[in-house]
Amino acid sequence: MVSYIIRRLLQGVVVVFIITFFAFAILQAAPGDPIDLMLGEGNVQMSAEQRAAILHKWGMDRPWYEQYLTWLKNFVSGDLGESIVRRGSPVSGMIFSAAIPTLKLNLIAYVIAIIISIPAGMLAAIKRYSAYDSAVMVVASAGVALPVFWVALMSIIFFSLKLGWLPPFGSSGWKAYILPVLALSLNELALLTRMMRGTMLEVLEQDYVKTARSKGLSEYAVIVGHAVRNALLPIITILGVRAGFLISGSVVVESIFAWPGLGSLFLDSVNRFDFQVVQAIVVLLTVFVLLANILTDLLYAVIDPRIRLNK
Amino acid sequence: MGAALPLAGSVLSACGGDDDDDTPAATATTADAAEPTTDSSAGEATEEPAAEATEEPSSEATEPAAATESTGGTGEGNQGGMLIVMGHEGVDGLSPDYIGPTVNWACITQIHNALTEMDPWFEYQPTLAESYEISDDGTVYTFKLRPDVPFHDGEIFSAEDVQYTFAYYADPENAMTTGSRFVGIASVDAPDDLTVVVNLDAPNAAFLTKAGSSFIVPKHIHEPIGDAEYSTNPVGTGPFKLKSYDPASYVELEAFDDHFRGRPLLDGYRLNTVPEPSVRAIALETGEADSSVWSLNTDDNIRLRDSGDFYVSITSSTACNNFQINTTSDQFKDKVVRQAMMFALDRDTIVNDIWRGLAVKATTNLSPAVAYYHDDTDVMKYDYDPDKANQMLDEAGWTIGSDGIREKDGVKLQWQCGMISGDQARRPIVEAFQQWVTQIGCKFDIVESTAMTEDVRSNKLQMGMHNWTWGGSGGDPDATSVMHSDWSGVSLGTHYSNPEMDQLLEDGLAEPDPEKRKVIYKRVQEIFCEDVPILFVQYWDWFVFFTTRVKGLPEEPLLSGSQIYNTAWKMWIEEA
Repeated sequence: MVSYIIRRLLQGVVVVFIITFFAFAILQAAPGDPIDLMLGEGNVQMSAEQRAAILHKWGMDRPWYEQYLTWLKNFVSGDLGESIVRRGSPVSGMIFSAAIPTLKLNLIAYVIAIIISIPAGMLAAIKRYSAYDSAVMVVASAGVALPVFWVALMSIIFFSLKLGWLPPFGSSGWKAYILPVLALSLNELALLTRMMRGTMLEVLEQDYVKTARSKGLSEYAVIVGHAVRNALLPIITILGVRAGFLISGSVVVESIFAWPGLGSLFLDSVNRFDFQVVQAIVVLLTVFVLLANILTDLLYAVIDPRIRLNK
Repeated sequence: MGAALPLAGSVLSACGGDDDDDTPAATATTADAAEPTTDSSAGEATEEPAAEATEEPSSEATEPAAATESTGGTGEGNQGGMLIVMGHEGVDGLSPDYIGPTVNWACITQIHNALTEMDPWFEYQPTLAESYEISDDGTVYTFKLRPDVPFHDGEIFSAEDVQYTFAYYADPENAMTTGSRFVGIASVDAPDDLTVVVNLDAPNAAFLTKAGSSFIVPKHIHEPIGDAEYSTNPVGTGPFKLKSYDPASYVELEAFDDHFRGRPLLDGYRLNTVPEPSVRAIALETGEADSSVWSLNTDDNIRLRDSGDFYVSITSSTACNNFQINTTSDQFKDKVVRQAMMFALDRDTIVNDIWRGLAVKATTNLSPAVAYYHDDTDVMKYDYDPDKANQMLDEAGWTIGSDGIREKDGVKLQWQCGMISGDQARRPIVEAFQQWVTQIGCKFDIVESTAMTEDVRSNKLQMGMHNWTWGGSGGDPDATSVMHSDWSGVSLGTHYSNPEMDQLLEDGLAEPDPEKRKVIYKRVQEIFCEDVPILFVQYWDWFVFFTTRVKGLPEEPLLSGSQIYNTAWKMWIEEA
């Protein structure tokens, strides 16, 4: 088990390097640079020498692979570097203050998605073909199909503009959480509900469930004691993988609701070629997804004793 | 194991990255590299041209023409309330070095003052200076400073602060982005606390637009900490001082009681970062915010304009929407060909049908909003006329070959036209033009490029669609950085060269007298229209909205929409 974890972590380190390398290369290859954008729309013109001086100040006059190696060296020694766009603000501080609102938002959305979807999907499977089942499936299908940004904008139009109940953007006060959480959790909720219903149906067809029933166990005992635990297995895998998707959905949702989190910061930094910040967020998200995956595997083993991770 | 790397959804790229260089306030020759904006798409024609900067004041501003006064603008109106404006991207810093992006500027201008400041009509008003004189030869500017102007910390502003500010931002060691504003200053003298004498190397008519209107920082605070730290904790002389600030999401300012023009009526000024343009529109409708510093979507602009629920200002951008041309390419080195292209370009259709009337046809290199704009009596007009274009090409010896494409000396009138990758907003213009040139025996392919200007410069592309300022930035007609032959192959890729133009541009910068400059820049516009270094299409409209609870807004039509935020100290809130 321990050697398995170590091996996975080492693989993870390699993955992090590959991804940071490509993220850096892609952004370098994109047209434009932060200096152009600093000039913005304002009344600022720059001579070639001035431009060169500023590029030099930020080490951007060197070949990109050199810049990457410098970044890597600093990163390994724990230094995330400085933001160019914010002229020297430490990236670690920026990331930290953005990570908290993102974590709050995502945790709430995630927990809500789980709390609602698992019982809803289970019940739909048990009451297969009932009116309840149909209703859940219609809602869930719509939830999977609707794009996050559409749901977000429509919910703003409805709840903010038409009804005037909730603020259209911002992050202060509990009311500000409702729409972003709704937009962020809807996809997950729908997906998990469908998954839960599907696996539950599969499990209910299994021989051991039939055996349990023929033993004369109550329906409650059959479902809680035998079916649910098995039906949850694939859901756990999905939960781990989806954690990463949730964060990426957060980029869209945060941007629409002006949520001051990692997603907004990431988009803003990509738009403005703030290399150091983009790199740091890429690393952070990659590590997050990797850890979520490893944790999922471990959890899997705990729940299902048949799975051994030693090999 | 494959890790799911969450990358930014392309969904938002169209709304998030609208860093187009099309603000009216002070548009620089910035690279048009960012994502094309959704703030500008196509559709039906609805509106009259904004040549006269039409405005529908639905508010009852009761402070007539106070905007042109430089003192005591806070005589009437309610005290209290907070003005809430929105920007589309984070405010990275609040020192004067960050003024490039409009969202930053809209906060920095509340905190700081300059010697002279541009008002919404492109006029420079003495601000920290009480008055100024320009020597006859145009090389010495003498500013008489306003006495007893306190900084937010109570220290009194003096000539020393001006000297320090100019020196610091000009110093190449400090690598400031605004350094070029101070180029050409030989020395800054302070004979006494309230006099500043700026000696220039050579006459520079754009001096007031640049150094003269740069925000002044307090030496006693800025010097010990440097610009990076200062940018998070600025201390100016402006009507509002910093209360709290998060670069990613908001800037909150509060009234400065001892401001030299009197305490502002507003208690506070807040800018919220709201990247999504449609959410900004909704926030204006719900009253969550009072104004958006950065443009909304076209549909929302039209809807809000027509609702009658807002103070609306529509001004013309100073950046020209154009096809940049490599004028040294085989196809376009003869100006007759370039002129023929202008006759084949149906700009009225572009403005009215493709751009839904939310633009004004370009007739010279200057926007009609700029005072130096020459009212086209002597310039070439280029009304859409494909027959004339054909005739001109015939006469110039471009004959139609067997494949229907014109040809001369082995060169076919066929080329590559670039578009910034993903530029969906402007694509219909390029496609329409592609059709129109077939009527005059020409043909081009559309190539999406990620480095269009560079590709035109190197003749990989012979033409490219984008926006760029060809003079008129900050109201000043100077166009050296795009039309002077020393620059035309550097900043842009046109390689345009005309000795008379070079001379005029040099004369124009050296001439301090606005009347004499008018004559010079009239000639510049005539030559521009004659030489056609670019195919000039249109100047986009820029919309500024305020909710009607905001009072104290100028009644007369603006020339520069963004500059209205510089008058926040005169605004007040009146709840219905």
